[in-house]
Amino acid sequence: MEREVLEAELVLPTHMKFKKIQMYDKYPKGQARGRHWKHLKQIIQAENYENYPPQLPTYVNIETPPSMHPGKKICDITGFEAPYFDPRTKLRYANTEVFKAIRSLPNDYVQRYLALRNAAVVLR
Amino acid sequence: MLSYKWVEQFINGEPVYEACCRTNVGGYHVTDYLKQLLSLKYPHHISKLTWERVEELKMEHCYIAGDYASEVQLFQRGDKEAEDKTRCWQLPWTPSPVEEPPSEEEIARKAALKEKQSQRLREMAEAKRSSKINELENELKGLEFLLEELKDIEEDDEIVSFLVSRGYAAKREVESAFAKVTQSLRKAKGEQVPSEEKVDISAAEKYYLIDIPDDELSAEQLKEKRRQVFLKSTTEARQRAKQRRLEEELEKEKEKKLEEQKRMENPECYLEQLRAKYKELSEKLEQRKRLKTNGNHANGNNNVSGGVGRGERLNAAQRERMRLLTTAAFDRGKGEDTFGQRDEDWQLYKLMSRDNDDDDDDKPDHDETELARISSRLREIDPTFFPGSESGASASEVPRFRPLTKEDFQIILGVERFRCPEVLFNPNFIGIDQSGLDEMVGVSLRRLPSWVQGLEDKMTSSILVTGGSCLYPGMGERLEAGIRMIRPCGTPIKVVRATDPIMDAWRGASVYAAAMQFPQQTFSRTDYYDKGEDWLRRYKFKYTI
Repeated sequence: MEREVLEAELVLPTHMKFKKIQMYDKYPKGQARGRHWKHLKQIIQAENYENYPPQLPTYVNIETPPSMHPGKKICDITGFEAPYFDPRTKLRYANTEVFKAIRSLPNDYVQRYLALRNAAVVLR
Repeated sequence: MLSYKWVEQFINGEPVYEACCRTNVGGYHVTDYLKQLLSLKYPHHISKLTWERVEELKMEHCYIAGDYASEVQLFQRGDKEAEDKTRCWQLPWTPSPVEEPPSEEEIARKAALKEKQSQRLREMAEAKRSSKINELENELKGLEFLLEELKDIEEDDEIVSFLVSRGYAAKREVESAFAKVTQSLRKAKGEQVPSEEKVDISAAEKYYLIDIPDDELSAEQLKEKRRQVFLKSTTEARQRAKQRRLEEELEKEKEKKLEEQKRMENPECYLEQLRAKYKELSEKLEQRKRLKTNGNHANGNNNVSGGVGRGERLNAAQRERMRLLTTAAFDRGKGEDTFGQRDEDWQLYKLMSRDNDDDDDDKPDHDETELARISSRLREIDPTFFPGSESGASASEVPRFRPLTKEDFQIILGVERFRCPEVLFNPNFIGIDQSGLDEMVGVSLRRLPSWVQGLEDKMTSSILVTGGSCLYPGMGERLEAGIRMIRPCGTPIKVVRATDPIMDAWRGASVYAAAMQFPQQTFSRTDYYDKGEDWLRRYKFKYTI
């Protein structure tokens, strides 16, 4: 047997009894996968949900609404509760030590921290 | 890719679709959040933080805090309990071999070796010098002999033929060669060479053709004259440059003296001034350097956190240029165009031009030399001065020089252990504006049909949680506490976890598919293609156990 197979922790059997069409029949080796995976957005669009009566539960309208509570503000670096906000970098911070740290952060790190909570400015 | 949490309500074994509720936050977000946080905290170990590794960390160490605020305060205070809760992942690390200070005899041996080598070199140089002196002396003797011989010969024709036979064109040439050899001999012997004097003496005879008008000279002599003119002008230029340098040195000396005087008058004030100047200059340079290199720090890791725009790849100076260009492009025709009324407006074009940051390259050079001068001066007079101690760049460079220790290869999981799973209850941590799990239960309860009395209590007393995310320790308690907060006092609440949360959904489907009635209860793909989805929807699936 090949070395990789011997080393692998988990090996899936190539033949699965419960499948009518085996994987190796469906996707012969060396050929590009014929299947085109749709993105969620494409599927939702194809379903034409807007044509259905509004009271009918569908994938889109069962989504939970925005929270009623004010969002908890946490320090972007440490995760502590953040009473302060730095207007230059737009980061939230917990104490003076963190403030020192964020002022010395390079700009792209600041942007990555902001991107974590979807607040980054993306320059294109 | 996304996994979701659902809240579904069942009444008498029937699902109430209207009361369904879904959130877009799942295990993927928890892992991604943890991965991003760790790679921002430990940028050096980013290669070790693969998705699989972080997923493992999440499953092993993450837990849900009963109350986020109080738990985080525990860590902020740095309590003993927080220390116990901190996990540490030691990355493979091999200590670099410790260099032992060389022993006494080692030093002695090395010094002896060095001494021996230098001795040999010295000997070699000495031998070379003596051989050169010998050679020069021989040549000198030959030339002297030649001159002696020349004295004996009276007639001009004979002189010429005699010289030609010896390889010389004229008597002057012999004399100049003689002078040269004597000079180099003196040099070799280490005597002072009276070069100035020599120039003065030889200037008249060296350029003997210059003062003679052109028409009196033959073609050959003309050529010689041109050469001499060129030689003379270059020598003079050299001398002038020397003069200037001398003057400059004098100037500097004077400045130094002045500074010294100032220092003598008020040493503290002077030192203070010097320090301030040093700080200002170094900051200026630092900033310029940062501007130039900014944006290229972690290009490879940038794309993890989402789309990388074109602008992110450029450095700050280029970005500024881009901004100017775009504003210029969109500004035209809007309102009154006052561009060009002031002279400064035209500076814009200079900023816009591509090579504007190359223009001022000579300026930083000047600053740098000034900085070097000041720092050397400070080092002379100020024992406490350490170059670059105040600038931020060298502070960050310091760890690079110290040997890496075990602690540098540790990944500490503290607050992250519960901060990451907390996104399930507070999706606004990752910028998703949705309600958390506990609030979602309330939403779902509100969506229930209102005609049944006591239905809500019945619902809250049997809540089943399933799926991989409910495996976090503390999940059930937290959910219960969260629901208790939004329900009236005394509501019976019971949260049950599925026996095998990860596989249960699959198992259910598997059991169902293996059952006998499966073919009768399901629709085939051909049904769907023949009759369409509207026909399917009319069935309004019934669920019976």
